[in-house]
Amino acid sequence: MRPRLHQTSLFGLSLTLLIAGGLNAQQATRTQPVEGIRDNGTGYHALTNVRVVQAPGKVLDNATIVIRDGIIKEVSRDGEAPAGARIWDLSGHTVYPGFIDAHADLGMDAVPEGGDVGPTHWNPQVRAWFSTTANLQDDSQRRAALRSQGFGTALAVPGQGIFRGTGSVVNLGDAGVRERVLVPDMIQAIGFQRSFELGGSYPNSTMGTTALMKQTLMDADWYIRAWDAYESSGRSFLPPETSEALGALESVVQGGQPVVFETSSEEEYLRAHAIASEFGVQAWYRGSGQEYRLIDVLRDRRDPLIVPLDFPDAPDVTDPEAALNATLQDLRHWYLAPTSPAQLADAGIPFAITADGMSSINDFLPNLRIAVARGLSSDDALAALTTTPARWLGLSRSHGTIEEGKIANLLVSEGDLFTQDAEIRDVWVQGRVYDITRPAQIDPRGTWRITSTDEWGFDAILTLEGPVNRLRGQLEVAAGSTTRFDGALVNISSAEAVAETGRIEVRFDGEELGYQGTVLLAGSVRGDEFFGWTSLPNGADPSFSGSREDEYEGPERGAVAMNVPELDLPFIRPMMEYGVSSIPEQPDAVVVRNATIWTMGPQGRMENADLLIQNGEVVEVGMNLDAPRGSVEIDGTDKHVTPGLIDPHIHSGVSSVNESGFAIVPEVRMGDVVTHNNVWMYRQLAGGLTTAMIKHGSANPIGGENVIVKMRWGALPDQIEMDTDTRTVKFALGENPKRRQNRYPDTRMGTQEIIRDHFLAARDYERDWRSWEENQEGIPPRRDMRMEAILDILNQELLISSHGYRADEFLALVRLAEEFDFRVQTLQHGIEAYKIAPELAQSGVAAVVWSDWGGFKMEAYDATAYNARVLMEAGVTTSLHSDNSEIASRMNWEAGKLLRTGLTEEQALSTVTIQSARAIAIDDRVGSLEPGKDGDFVVWNGNPLSQFTRPEQTWLDGRRYFSIDEDMELRERIKDERSRLIQAVLSSQNGNGPRAGGE
Amino acid sequence: MMNIKNSMKVSVIAAIVLPMALNGQVRMTVPPQAEAIAIEGATIHTVTNGVIEGGTIIFNNGVITSIGANLEIPAGTRVVDGGGKHIYPGLIDAYSTVGISEIGAVGVSNDVNELGDFNPNVRADVAVNAESRHIGTSRSAGVLVAFSTPGGGLISGMSSALSLEGWSWEEMSMESSAALNVNWPNPNPRRFRGFGGRGGPQEPPPSYEEQVQALKNFFSEARAYRNAIAADEEVRTDSRYAAMVSVLDGKIPVVVAADGAAQINDAVTWALEEDVEIVIRGGADAIHVADRLVAHDIPVILTSTMAAPGRDYEGYDGAYTMPARLHEAGVRFAISGGSGSLYTNRLPWEAGVAVAFGLPEDEALKAVTINAAEFMGVADRVGSLEVGKQATFLITTGTPLDMTSDIEQSYIQGREIDMMDIQKFFFEKYMTKVMQYLRIVM
Repeated sequence: MRPRLHQTSLFGLSLTLLIAGGLNAQQATRTQPVEGIRDNGTGYHALTNVRVVQAPGKVLDNATIVIRDGIIKEVSRDGEAPAGARIWDLSGHTVYPGFIDAHADLGMDAVPEGGDVGPTHWNPQVRAWFSTTANLQDDSQRRAALRSQGFGTALAVPGQGIFRGTGSVVNLGDAGVRERVLVPDMIQAIGFQRSFELGGSYPNSTMGTTALMKQTLMDADWYIRAWDAYESSGRSFLPPETSEALGALESVVQGGQPVVFETSSEEEYLRAHAIASEFGVQAWYRGSGQEYRLIDVLRDRRDPLIVPLDFPDAPDVTDPEAALNATLQDLRHWYLAPTSPAQLADAGIPFAITADGMSSINDFLPNLRIAVARGLSSDDALAALTTTPARWLGLSRSHGTIEEGKIANLLVSEGDLFTQDAEIRDVWVQGRVYDITRPAQIDPRGTWRITSTDEWGFDAILTLEGPVNRLRGQLEVAAGSTTRFDGALVNISSAEAVAETGRIEVRFDGEELGYQGTVLLAGSVRGDEFFGWTSLPNGADPSFSGSREDEYEGPERGAVAMNVPELDLPFIRPMMEYGVSSIPEQPDAVVVRNATIWTMGPQGRMENADLLIQNGEVVEVGMNLDAPRGSVEIDGTDKHVTPGLIDPHIHSGVSSVNESGFAIVPEVRMGDVVTHNNVWMYRQLAGGLTTAMIKHGSANPIGGENVIVKMRWGALPDQIEMDTDTRTVKFALGENPKRRQNRYPDTRMGTQEIIRDHFLAARDYERDWRSWEENQEGIPPRRDMRMEAILDILNQELLISSHGYRADEFLALVRLAEEFDFRVQTLQHGIEAYKIAPELAQSGVAAVVWSDWGGFKMEAYDATAYNARVLMEAGVTTSLHSDNSEIASRMNWEAGKLLRTGLTEEQALSTVTIQSARAIAIDDRVGSLEPGKDGDFVVWNGNPLSQFTRPEQTWLDGRRYFSIDEDMELRERIKDERSRLIQAVLSSQNGNGPRAGGE
Repeated sequence: MMNIKNSMKVSVIAAIVLPMALNGQVRMTVPPQAEAIAIEGATIHTVTNGVIEGGTIIFNNGVITSIGANLEIPAGTRVVDGGGKHIYPGLIDAYSTVGISEIGAVGVSNDVNELGDFNPNVRADVAVNAESRHIGTSRSAGVLVAFSTPGGGLISGMSSALSLEGWSWEEMSMESSAALNVNWPNPNPRRFRGFGGRGGPQEPPPSYEEQVQALKNFFSEARAYRNAIAADEEVRTDSRYAAMVSVLDGKIPVVVAADGAAQINDAVTWALEEDVEIVIRGGADAIHVADRLVAHDIPVILTSTMAAPGRDYEGYDGAYTMPARLHEAGVRFAISGGSGSLYTNRLPWEAGVAVAFGLPEDEALKAVTINAAEFMGVADRVGSLEVGKQATFLITTGTPLDMTSDIEQSYIQGREIDMMDIQKFFFEKYMTKVMQYLRIVM
């Protein structure tokens, strides 16, 4: 087994070393011999006359900080600088603790040419063995970039692959690699985005990535047991495989080492949290900037959350047609993303701030100031960059505040760091100073009286103002001083100050002074004294001297100006068009009176009937029902009521659809990638759809596990999933699964064989487990998610829902299942299902077909609108489906089309209600209005099968999720919010800066 | 032929008698009308002259000879009882690829997009496969006239008006060059990424402005060509410019595909400058430009009424209500099938949905009959039931725009057409299989 670093002891050791050794480690505590002459500064500094923000909320004015050998020795008000210390007079400056970035990309894990070597993982995206400490490089540019934004310490997090390896805490000074690591390899990094440079075909979807994460964590657990079994047997059998990657995850699965997930959306945060909870790993999260959408979820969570400051550019609203295309989602994100840190702070959610995840690191401080302008207190901002990350990284004893005994990591700012125009002058890392911006050693601004001492002489007033690097001003010759220049006024549009040497250089047009040509003027400033000389167009070079009469007084520095108006944007979910402040409430009882009720159950269609729903379930359909007092009453006169419609095949509402990396992927789950940011759901509700099966794509003979959802608009993904034991898996036959090049299968023959072979493999897997459980001999078998899913298929616990078109391929699958003693649950698409209707009926396979799709590809050419009719005549359970986000929003009309094939009205409607529920085995809960079933129903303004009818209300779980009246209110609100936000964008752009929150 | 409607119910399946005369015949083309026919006692929806209850329609040699209530029926006229039935003009799909596109994903079965930016000389009709399966299914849905339309480039070519009955394209073609099709460029193309694909660095596509200028140049050259010919100048022949003459002379319209508000506005400005007769096709944002369209009396062919809204904030019914909103604003419009030949049979639903969302039913009917005929220049022959127009109509149990009614028989240019199509053929064939199976299991 791979020898592993012992985390705890090394951690302690490294800190001790540092505190004892300090910056200029001597030979006694450093291994590398000094070549040539030693270079030893005193390492003894005193920062005087400085305002010190020691910690958030703790400020000392006019203080002195004494640093010796990298450690803060003293912080005191009005303290004397000790003799022997180098004095740094920092009057007018503020010193903060150096920032700590808890999720920094220091770029030390570039993929080696030719790929990784050694017993790594079979999947190149699993690089858990990668150590940032072992691979520490000279990344001086990235360190300098981080220092320029105030950082002195960072958790270097690897970024390649899915399991990315271990992150180490390093200081950002320029000491050699052996002196940079503070805490080696303390955390495992995991991300949802694979690295294409690493190669490999699987996974290429979010659900595949999630499955790989889970399988790998399980494998890491197995790896320990496998090696233990091998070692404890006295090595009496063949050893298990060696995997650096699985070995590296040992302390993660045992709960010792945390994992940091990099997330790029609110959904990814939820997914990462679900994985961490399932496997009991200690999780940290690199946030996405969308945290403001999850404040309610995050409120009680205490896991480390590290958020980026990547604020979006404003949507384009430059002309009316462009404005027409600006979505509320983008406008809201533009406005609200900069408030995300403030919202986290207000909700008491612990968070750190990282400079990671920005398109340019130079945006970090400006965006930090925007976050402050948008409500984040300076103290909270500072804590998120110092004390909070220090605590999480185990550095509280040494980092995060300015106190005696702590490491001298400091940030020197001219001005309040969190305000406009403040500049970081220096960053101190472990007692060594790094210039960030050069302070002006002279400030020539102000009013000078200058006089020429030679015969050319004059008496003049020189005023200089503006930023030091772009001075401007004027030269006014006093009246009566000379005859020649009397009263001349020269505007100086640009002057340069050279800070290091105290020189200013000015050029101006000589016309005002009566010369043809340019006057050159140079001056040396020292304090308030000035000596200069000029070069005149006539060849003379008179000199002059002067003294400063008045200091320059510029505009006062203040908080970053808010140049977005204060808008009241209520919290909505999803944070987009038609989002709602909460899911609708559930009345105790709802009764629909006097309607035509299509029960789709044994009661058939009833005229002038009542429907009673209580606590979200159907109680009764009948005439003149007694309803409890206080029931919500709906007048159904002239209305039709049907069960909520069901579509057993859609692809909207998930973040990715196809895991095409392998031909066989039943281990992936669409339930892992459900998203609530899906406006289709609202539209589908508006069309009367209440339940749908979201299917995996069709790239694989055996695809992933589908997810059945209810259209709970306004809920989070886990609440959208239907509460049912029914599980189905996607199979795909025909053209699609063989379309992928260089991947078996290439033919329909191969498709059947690869399925069969995996059925057999699953039986072998089962046998191996059984035999090990009986004998406990040899290497314990591992839990294989893929094999277990296939076993579930064979045991008919994971029901097959197979994509396909032609009769031949379906018949082959039906027979294959029979060979393994089980039944295919449903065929989907089934363009040619009608050709094998009797065989399907005999085998008990349901058919899920289109009303009138066909002709769009070769295998769809024999389409007929009579498909459903033939199937139903043969006794096959027959449902319609859309396979289309949009058509799912009008399934009643899809059913209506079947009237033209001779079906009765109730038969037609059954293909989008009760038969749909039966087809995917959820008819115990939905599909008809029968007692005990879910209170999902639709109120229509006429016959639901008519092209002239529209839905008016859609109820789900006894809650009214859609009504045309409320829809109109939402539209008004959207219109109002959009116009206010568009105005906000315009006013921010008329102001000083292009970004949200101003500058 | 079996009577499909109510022929059987699932529970009484054994009672079915299936016709055993299946001979592989999907649909037979019938000869031209040989005798005068009168259909009497029907509710006749003329579209242009109201509804005639208990009306009679008489037609001979493919043309309507009289229409009205209490007509005297000339001797020698075959009389058909239309009692309880409705008669509607055949529906017209103003934008289709019927006959020139067969199987979407099978490239070689599609003849829609010719190479190059300027193809005014290509005409759809010469490429129409009279045996296309989609012709039969379109007719079964009540679509009896369709404008098969080339696509691609800036100028795609000429739409041809097709009457959906005939042994060959030649018999079917009503108007070979019915309208010129222009694809208005997109002012907001997706951001170009020069190094995006496998092909390495790529030339950026021409800008919006460049494409508009190219279109203007082409029209200017074409106009110069026409003027030179008119002045009897000797010029070298150019089949593309020659094809433009009828457009420039205002004899046929220019159908401009444009959806966005900026596109429509710019297309209108262009057409006014070019002084051509313009019809906007697509028109997703037409409501934002409604006043201008009304001011210049520019009609719109809507291609996607049965559709989701184009923007997230728009109402779920944004496309459904578009016809009603345009009607209210006074914009003239037709509704087309929108998605090509495969689904020309969905044309009635594209119009019907507008009725569910506020458009008066008679306006919806106009949008798929007379309006389409007028915009595309064939209103002298089809689009309404009037004396002198072609006897191209439907006998139904109710409006063809709703699936709750059935189309029982259609006439095209007086021919009583075979109502069989490939979909019904498969139904009959495989119902035979079901019957055989049920006899075994019962």
